[in-house]
Amino acid sequence: MRAAWLLCLVALGARAGDPLPPAEAAVWLQRMADAARHVGYEGVFAFQHGDAPLQSLMVSNRPAPAGKDSRLLAMDGEQREVRCSQGISLSMQTAGGQVKVERRLNSRHFPDLLPANATPLANWYNVRLGEVGRVAGLDCRQVELTPRDAFRWGYVLCAEKETGLPLKAMMINDAGKPLMQYAFAEVKLGALPRNAPPPAQTASEAARPVAAGRVGVKSLPPGFTRITAVKRQLPNKPGEVEHWVFSDGLTHISLFLENAAQPVETLRGQSKLGMINMLTRQVGAMQATILGDAPWPAVEAIAMNLEARPGTVASGK
Amino acid sequence: MTNAMKIPAQHAQTEDDNLSALFDGELDDPGARAILKDLSRDPERCRRLAEYALIGDSLRGLNRDAPHLTTRVMAALEQEPTVLAPMARPRDRRPALWLAAATVAAITWGLWSVSPRQDAPAAPMAAAPGQAGNVLPYLEAHQDFAQAVVAPSEMQFTRVNLAGVGQ
Repeated sequence: MRAAWLLCLVALGARAGDPLPPAEAAVWLQRMADAARHVGYEGVFAFQHGDAPLQSLMVSNRPAPAGKDSRLLAMDGEQREVRCSQGISLSMQTAGGQVKVERRLNSRHFPDLLPANATPLANWYNVRLGEVGRVAGLDCRQVELTPRDAFRWGYVLCAEKETGLPLKAMMINDAGKPLMQYAFAEVKLGALPRNAPPPAQTASEAARPVAAGRVGVKSLPPGFTRITAVKRQLPNKPGEVEHWVFSDGLTHISLFLENAAQPVETLRGQSKLGMINMLTRQVGAMQATILGDAPWPAVEAIAMNLEARPGTVASGK
Repeated sequence: MTNAMKIPAQHAQTEDDNLSALFDGELDDPGARAILKDLSRDPERCRRLAEYALIGDSLRGLNRDAPHLTTRVMAALEQEPTVLAPMARPRDRRPALWLAAATVAAITWGLWSVSPRQDAPAAPMAAAPGQAGNVLPYLEAHQDFAQAVVAPSEMQFTRVNLAGVGQ
């Protein structure tokens, strides 16, 4: 009887497919990250957010000394294009015959989802290898990233057998439900697409680095660091705000700081599928909006660890 | 997970209640023994025990591999040898149960203590037009880093009260 109980406990603690040792996990993560930048490819992939309509994009990448030279082109709906070259990412949208060009603060997109240095992720995710599958006519190995805590979503990737390029990626919640899915429908590896030079000028003002802030963060969830802190103008919003971004390399959480003209009502927001969480609160004299495609505990942990720096006057409720 | 008085198994209303109480360490010794004995002969109840474990894992953000868990539990039971040795005294087992219960309680408390407390009424509300307009710039600005862009209308909002947190 006691043995049955112990057997149950052992079984409950067990996992399907043992996680790779950290060193081996790091090798797989880095291999996939490098492939997305250093392999030339062009193809078409589809992506879906939850149960939203499927969308398709054309993507191409040409290995470049300064990273990647990639182009992303929406094939459905409005004409949209993203160009990433020499560390600069531009978004171009055509509407009413006008091309609106904006500079993006980040250049990641499928299949380049992992950070340039992916090895630290092995500290925060268990990595398991799954079966060999087939995507877009190519063999790929399933790689499962299971978070070790509640601060990040899980991922299931399928890495092309020879190069390690992710041919498929799925972000899943803690119940294993897909939140976001990408998959190549067709892809040609080893291609050296000639992307036209990106526009020389951008329509939007470049973001400026933030000086000493009036708000500090006492602590962050494990593995998260501040990767960006700029002053910028937000679309359709007057004035500038501070935009900070915290990340573990895969999960990104934004913090927007601005002067609170009046007491700020504390609001929690959540997208229908739970993928995006946000909280608006007052910190000293500032309004803080924390927002990310991250589980609520991660957004909450950052929000609750904000503190006003000395010299600021609290006026909130 | 409290220090509530232990309840005899026969007083629990359903089998599920018994399993839940067992997992929470709330059964008395005879009750726990009876459930464990039945468990080793009843795959369905063992499956439900696995589900309770998964629920606990979920609360701690550790819920993984659910589809394979039941299979493993069942396989473990099939391989279990018949135990003819005398049972150890329940006292030997129960501290482990209490420890597990206390750990879950501590984690739950840790999360709860920093969670915003929802005001009453705290029913989720769809974004009002003004509110949606307020949120849109942030959603758009975050899309440089996000994998998906959602419309403000896809967001639900709840007023919360940051009780006990310095503002």
